[in-house]
Amino acid sequence: MPVLMRTLAAVLLTVFCLVAPVAAAQSAPSTSQPPKPQSEYVPIDQLPPQDQLPAAPLLISAYSFVMIVFFLYVVSLARRLTSVQRDVDRLGATLKHTGKP
Amino acid sequence: MPKWLMPAAIVCGVMFVLSPFVIASADYESTMGLVQKIFYYHMPSAWMFLISGIVCGVASVRFLITGDARHDRTAWAAAELAVIFGLVTLVTGPLWARKAWGTFWIWDARTTSSLVQWMVAWAYLILRRYGGPGSEKLAAGLALFGTANVAFIYVSVNYWRTIHPPTSVVPKLPFTMGFPLWYCVASFALLLVVLLKLRVRLEEQRAMLDSLYLSLDEQR
Repeated sequence: MPVLMRTLAAVLLTVFCLVAPVAAAQSAPSTSQPPKPQSEYVPIDQLPPQDQLPAAPLLISAYSFVMIVFFLYVVSLARRLTSVQRDVDRLGATLKHTGKP
Repeated sequence: MPKWLMPAAIVCGVMFVLSPFVIASADYESTMGLVQKIFYYHMPSAWMFLISGIVCGVASVRFLITGDARHDRTAWAAAELAVIFGLVTLVTGPLWARKAWGTFWIWDARTTSSLVQWMVAWAYLILRRYGGPGSEKLAAGLALFGTANVAFIYVSVNYWRTIHPPTSVVPKLPFTMGFPLWYCVASFALLLVVLLKLRVRLEEQRAMLDSLYLSLDEQR
């Protein structure tokens, strides 16, 4: 059960790290006045600040996610390897003790 | 455990620690700006995702032909890594697309076939975990479909209409953007080799554990 809880906590932390900056980036301040209709194409770098999507939260989310995923996978792999190795050693010792390989 | 594994793991760790500095030194892409730098992790992880699929498929074919359990263990390890690298690819891509395309996801040939590839890798793992005796051959057959899909994923951007960049982009990159990219490709490739070796080692230990249990049962 503690392993399950730790896994769940890790998953929740990962999702939070991913979602929070994106959600923050998307929450633009609402204006009371409706925007004026535009008559022609507006280049993206000339948009008003409230209409621009900041890149930094997306970039940080992506890099954080990659690091977290690999970190959790390496930890998981190490735990599994240690556990199996412990069982191999224990059974090997038992067999050796009984005198038959 | 082979002697080269620990030095390789240390080199891989150092390369990943240094990678943000190498990526920061890359030129800004003129239309996408800062968010384009997701590319330096997205594309190498996508390549390792596809290479894992190929390794899984080739090992599965060799297992089906020879019946050698070593190839089966390699296939299983590669399928698990395909899930991990696929997850990274399928999350970093939409984060980049949100800014560059204005949407997290489009159902074009590249993204859809990549999602299918990821689900094939999951199906392989689920089959191995819950399929019972004999599932290794069924899973090996499934891995062949995954390998066939890899070629489709790679060429899909050149044959179907999409806003995803084509495969011709990488050879045309200037040195200031090409060097960070190939640095990250080398880092991810080394990570794949180290993780694959460790994961195969886990399956070897599990096989040894099973044989020890059998020996113990014979004694009783």
